[in-house]
Amino acid sequence: MLRVTNLKAAYGKIEALHGISFHVEKGEIVTLIGSNGAGKSTTLKALMRLQPPESPIVTEGDITFDGVSILGVPAHRVVSDIRMTLAPEGRRIFGNLTVMENLQLASWSRRGEDTDKKIQHVFDLFPRLAERARQRSDTLSGGEQQMLAIGRALMTKCSVLLLDEPSMGLAPLIMYDLFRTLKKLNTDEGLTIIVVEQNANLALRVADRGYVLDTGEIIAEGPAKELLHKPEIKAAYLGG
Amino acid sequence: MEFFLQQCVNALQWGSFYALIALGYTLVYGVLRLINFAHGDVFMVGAYLAFFVSTGLLAPEGMFGFSREIVLILTIPLTMILTSMVGVTLERVAYRPLMRKGAHRLYVVITALMCGLILENGNLALLGASRRTLPTLLDKTVYNIGGIAVTNLKLLVVFTAVLVFFALYFIVTRTRMGMAMRAVSWDRFALPLMGIPLEQVVVFTFALGSSIAGLGGLLFAMSYPVLDPYMGAMTGWKAFIAAVVGGIGDVRGAFVGGFLLAFVEIMVAAFLPSTFRDLFAFSVLLFILWQRPTGIFGKPLTTKI
Repeated sequence: MLRVTNLKAAYGKIEALHGISFHVEKGEIVTLIGSNGAGKSTTLKALMRLQPPESPIVTEGDITFDGVSILGVPAHRVVSDIRMTLAPEGRRIFGNLTVMENLQLASWSRRGEDTDKKIQHVFDLFPRLAERARQRSDTLSGGEQQMLAIGRALMTKCSVLLLDEPSMGLAPLIMYDLFRTLKKLNTDEGLTIIVVEQNANLALRVADRGYVLDTGEIIAEGPAKELLHKPEIKAAYLGG
Repeated sequence: MEFFLQQCVNALQWGSFYALIALGYTLVYGVLRLINFAHGDVFMVGAYLAFFVSTGLLAPEGMFGFSREIVLILTIPLTMILTSMVGVTLERVAYRPLMRKGAHRLYVVITALMCGLILENGNLALLGASRRTLPTLLDKTVYNIGGIAVTNLKLLVVFTAVLVFFALYFIVTRTRMGMAMRAVSWDRFALPLMGIPLEQVVVFTFALGSSIAGLGGLLFAMSYPVLDPYMGAMTGWKAFIAAVVGGIGDVRGAFVGGFLLAFVEIMVAAFLPSTFRDLFAFSVLLFILWQRPTGIFGKPLTTKI
């Protein structure tokens, strides 16, 4: 469904991805793991067609969705037409808006389509958000903010959800809860998920397949179970 | 006492002009973090557009045969629409290309200053140095309320400013577009991820701010009918300062700041030699900023607009 071929991407003159190729099929959970600076976030931003200065320029290669190149599609159309969105690193929720406003705003491209029902759905997944609906979102705890970031992404009615380090800064229990919810969204609703993680152990336990990135290149790939037990990956990324 | 109240009425009128301009400064700043220094000149362009629209509609040959009331009613929306187009053009031609290339905000601000000068001097070059006079669109009626003279025009000006404020406040706090405007001010990066085209929000902001400046220009020209290309410069600067003192980025701040500046100015001019006016006015503003560097409504790093 989503296919990346020989993708090279650069920030200005500095190339961050040196020709990576991977694919994601409908209904899969795929994880990209790797150390800091490997190009994981860069890959997600390139997929979303976000623009510089925060995001890279694709210099070579292609990204196709159902066989059609999306390189020329602006980010907001990737969300509205291709139904793919990103819960970015550091959550980036709109702290000056209430929880409710964050969710309503995210339904921008789905105007007139049962927004209230969708909000209720998000509240069912994350009951904590319902309690905080009228609160300014920068007063939420880290875990709640991550729930809001994911809830907000779901409000766009995405069929592909990209997650950039959702576990960052979360207490272990909350982290497991979050991944359980993601798994549930995947199995119950067929949501395709691409998750970038530092916590490779956790990501590989949830994912179907994984890719290991290192300094802008894919150095290993395969079913998550295999990667989890590969000695060299264990040594490099899973803490031995 | 009557003298004081009379001056209050005058201050309310001047405050309305400042507020109408300051609101445009604050909207654009709130969304783009850009001080649109051409905004005072957009106000001037608004006054000129009001002149052309109204004289055109009042065509001496009686081409349209409109009464002056109808001309006024038509001039208001036409001036607002045309002025908003000027603001949107500035954004499209001058600011957007720079922003796209990731230019530092300083260069965009300098570009805005230049755009203002181009508008002033372009006007001078195109229309010449002779001054234009706006035709009378509203017959003057003076109401005497407890010994204070209030003209219908002053009432219209103040009423409009208050109305615009509440309309803007409603847009920013209650509508989807207002929500998006507040969201941009917090984090531009995340906006497209919600499926929202950033440029649409930016264009809306410029259109809104400029149309209010156009409305201000029309009302100003109705109150002081002689137009000149530099009329927006000083008034624009003062309105900008009013917006900063109120807390730039906050709609309430622009409104309050505009009236505050006008009150200080008018009261100084009324009770002291008028040459003291700007010295006192700006000293007071300096003192306020000294006490509250982010302005009356401004909060560092929290809500803007």
